[in-house]
Amino acid sequence: MIPTDSEELSALAGEYVLGLLDAADAREIEQAMATNSALASAVTFWQERLDPLCALAPPADPPPATWDRINAKIAAGERHIPRLPRWWNDPAPWRWATAGLAAAAAVMLLVVARPPTGPHYVALLSAPSQQTPGFLVMGGHTEIVARAVSGAVPPKGRAFELWAIYPNVSRPQALGVIPVNGVLRVKDFPTEILGGASFAVSVEPPGGSPTGQPTGPVVFIGKLRTI
Amino acid sequence: MGAVVSDTVADRGTDGRVTALSSAATLVEAIGRGSRIALKRLYDLESKRLYGIALRIVRRPEVAADVLQEAFIQIWQNARSYSPERGAAQAWLTGIVRFRALDAVRKTGREVLSGDPALGDAAEEPDVIERIGAEAEASALRRCLGLLDDIQRRLVVLAFVDGYSHSEIAERIAEPLGTVKSRIRRGLAALKTCLAP
Repeated sequence: MIPTDSEELSALAGEYVLGLLDAADAREIEQAMATNSALASAVTFWQERLDPLCALAPPADPPPATWDRINAKIAAGERHIPRLPRWWNDPAPWRWATAGLAAAAAVMLLVVARPPTGPHYVALLSAPSQQTPGFLVMGGHTEIVARAVSGAVPPKGRAFELWAIYPNVSRPQALGVIPVNGVLRVKDFPTEILGGASFAVSVEPPGGSPTGQPTGPVVFIGKLRTI
Repeated sequence: MGAVVSDTVADRGTDGRVTALSSAATLVEAIGRGSRIALKRLYDLESKRLYGIALRIVRRPEVAADVLQEAFIQIWQNARSYSPERGAAQAWLTGIVRFRALDAVRKTGREVLSGDPALGDAAEEPDVIERIGAEAEASALRRCLGLLDDIQRRLVVLAFVDGYSHSEIAERIAEPLGTVKSRIRRGLAALKTCLAP
């Protein structure tokens, strides 16, 4: 239970940042941050203010092979067990995803809004149980453009964040918070890595997920196709 | 294979600026654009500090190395979502490392809980407040920690720096769990009042 009283809320956020909560309670906080901006800003407050305490841990040399392991893992696209994150199956509140344009109109937008290099990839992201697309994602050589196509807006005080999900990578990659105009341009993106990827849009605090992983419900999802 | 090709492309794109990359925020931004060179520079600059933070919490070098590895992969994957409005890059980085380390401790437990001479040594030292740096944000924290009583201050350090849970702290300072919880809450309330803008 996340308290509404601001002192209680601050104390809980402080306990979370101090690392005092057990795993289940910590997950509850992370989930709640997506829809509770007061909680999210309380967590940011503590994270920033307490950070200088890290200086009390003396620096130490990591084992020499550590960088090579990181580098190899990134290069291999993290070939460990593919496992869908838990949020994937979360039932999401779709209330705000009002029906809008149909798929045909979205494809028309594709023609109008194609990036200068011409799209090489396209994905229509829909609510899992619905046909109506909420976002259209296009990828050119070096750019991704995500565009709201049916007037999809996040709940009040929340933001949409775009994620790439790679087939052999366990964690989604954050691509950015979608601005209020519903159009996100991700420049200088190496789109060659997108083969087999899917995109998802989740509901997050205004500045984006505070944990670097989706914390709110995934409201739109779709697989990328090469065109 | 795609990742290898993309890295070449991305690094070529930022090559010209690489020598100018120095601050954590600039590096994180470059990592967000896909620069593996920037990730390596961040590792060179920050890995000792971040490893020290992880080691302090998990205690075992091999676990700390795993934590550092997971943290850098998470940094690589999520740098694009970092923006300065979400706080200082340093706090963003240490947040990732601390929560990965706490996850590891919660999952596997800590090998040694008591009788380890290294345990909580920072918290035991009288000059703890003096050691948290001279930067502006650190001086506010130092001033505010100075308002807490010795036990409250020690509890904050045991939690944040050593990653102790409520019950581990209770065991360590031999006080009932409820007392520890309310002491920490009072400490947090005092810090909040002092640190709030």
